[in-house]
Amino acid sequence: MIERTLNLFWILLGAAAAAYAWTLGIVGPSGPESGLFPFISALIILGAGVVLLLQRSGDAAVPDFPRGAALGRVLGVVAGLAFMAVSIPYLGFAVSGFITMIILLRAVEKSGWLFSIALAVASVAVVVGLFGHVLGMTLPRGPWGF
Amino acid sequence: MGLLSVEALGGLLTGFGVILTPENLYLCFLGSLIGTLVGVLPGVGPLAALALLLPITFTLSPVGGMVMLASIFYGAMYGGSTTSILLNIPGEAASVVTCIDGHQMAKQGRAGAALGIAAIGSFVAGTLGVIVMTFFAPAIAAVAIRFGPPENFALMVLGVVCTLFMITGSPVKGVLMMALGFLTAAIGIDVVNGRERFTFGSVNLSAGIELLAVVIGLFGLTEVLSNVEKVVKSTVVTDRIRGLWPSLADWRASWRPMLRGSGLGFVLGLVPGGGPVTASFMSYALEKRISAHPERFGKGAVEGVAGPESANNAAVAGSIIPVLSLGIPGNPVTALLLGALVIQGIQPGPLFITQRPDLFWGIVASMYVGNVFLLLLNLPLVGLWAQLLRVPYRVLFPVVLLLSMVGTYSANKNVFDLWVMLGFGIAGYVLHKLEYDLAPFVIAFVLAPLLEQSLRQSLAMSPDGAMIFVQRPGTALMLVASAVLVALMFRRKQKKSGGDL
Repeated sequence: MIERTLNLFWILLGAAAAAYAWTLGIVGPSGPESGLFPFISALIILGAGVVLLLQRSGDAAVPDFPRGAALGRVLGVVAGLAFMAVSIPYLGFAVSGFITMIILLRAVEKSGWLFSIALAVASVAVVVGLFGHVLGMTLPRGPWGF
Repeated sequence: MGLLSVEALGGLLTGFGVILTPENLYLCFLGSLIGTLVGVLPGVGPLAALALLLPITFTLSPVGGMVMLASIFYGAMYGGSTTSILLNIPGEAASVVTCIDGHQMAKQGRAGAALGIAAIGSFVAGTLGVIVMTFFAPAIAAVAIRFGPPENFALMVLGVVCTLFMITGSPVKGVLMMALGFLTAAIGIDVVNGRERFTFGSVNLSAGIELLAVVIGLFGLTEVLSNVEKVVKSTVVTDRIRGLWPSLADWRASWRPMLRGSGLGFVLGLVPGGGPVTASFMSYALEKRISAHPERFGKGAVEGVAGPESANNAAVAGSIIPVLSLGIPGNPVTALLLGALVIQGIQPGPLFITQRPDLFWGIVASMYVGNVFLLLLNLPLVGLWAQLLRVPYRVLFPVVLLLSMVGTYSANKNVFDLWVMLGFGIAGYVLHKLEYDLAPFVIAFVLAPLLEQSLRQSLAMSPDGAMIFVQRPGTALMLVASAVLVALMFRRKQKKSGGDL
């Protein structure tokens, strides 16, 4: 079912991208236009999507998606990273990185509080020290100046 | 040819002049060390490590940065065997096959001999591969320098088709991923006329999709998501590893597989889509097929370690040649190396050797030096690497994720890239579950700007439109070869599925 839905998505994506590329122009008086290359790519996606949709159902992949606790762990990682991407502009890298590490270690790995805090502090300190100071990279700072 | 050899030796001397500075030697050593570490630790592949460490190279000279990245790539091939032999868990994909006989040897109390043969085989193959590379890469570039846009276009098409031909899964899915890579690369401003494509008015999209965000998402995050599904209990190696120097019988049984593995690995590395993983499997199959006692394989045959471990190292040297001499990557790791050069403002291709001899020969010379570093790191220090296996994955993965975020952010200092990375990570995870090969996407994504440029230049210079691809013999030959490969690819699939695509 997931595979069929995805194949349908490829067809729609290919068709939409081809239609958009067409509006950019394919070939003009001075030669190929901006739309030519994406148009060809979109047609290939569209065609491949059709072929995959027409395959026998026995040929479709049977995905082994996680369930229960395993799914929770995967979603926990995604949630942790999403939190970090949202919070970096407001909290800065160090604080949002620390909280993300705690989320990952506590919620995903069920580590103890002491271990989680120690590892989070150490990891963030090493990363900020290496990238922010040794390599001179400007990492986003929060309202506290770090 | 003789002149080319003299030029190559002269170039190599230049390269040693470049590499034998304290800074470059340090970076080569550091890359070898990180590469071994990446190879030893399961769950962190060389591609993810290269992507994570790519931002560090922005602050280094192009030579230093590329030397470090290349040494991580071949260093991972050395380190991968340690985990395969001791724990029966491959440290990285090219060492999967080493588990079969390597771990059996360890169970029989011959872990030291297996590790020794793996390290020496890697050194022999790595060095032989670089020697051939020294003379072969300039020869290829000398031919390719005569290529115009149509030939370049056809060559890139052939490269992408070879990659598709080598993938093991569905060819239709491979083609789809390739086209998706091309389409994703088209997002942003068209460099020819400044027109925006697929940006939908977004300022973030007008600069295009960042390569680092794509690679870290597709390979780093996807790998982490796949690994965190299961609770992995770390296995600790408690036995002391003895007898690293192989016995005379081991030597006798291994030297031929090492040489065969070196040759086979080098050739498979040259072919786009080949590379270390394919090379190691093919070498194992070859050794088993030609062995007088194939029944020994799977029960601790030293040839089953010597051949594949040599092959995967030789394949690294082979796979770097098309990138540096033609500008065509054959696998995601070399695609990232190409991306790293482009970020530094350098375009590899036939002119690369003549325009940047310091960089090209510096990289080649560093591979000689790096192989020596790796032999020293992997033979006497193997016990230390084994102890590193105590680091549990639950400690490793949050740190990897933190580095992924910093690595992605550092490219443009833009939070938008973090969302791109997360999006590609989730997409990669789902597509991986549905048996889509992600390699064609990355290779197409990296090659797309050059491929499009060649296509447009070819059509613009042709009075007969697309006929230019048929009128030029070299171009026609490469496109016919591509068409034949596509036909063979679908025919193979039809045979497998009994008539259906």
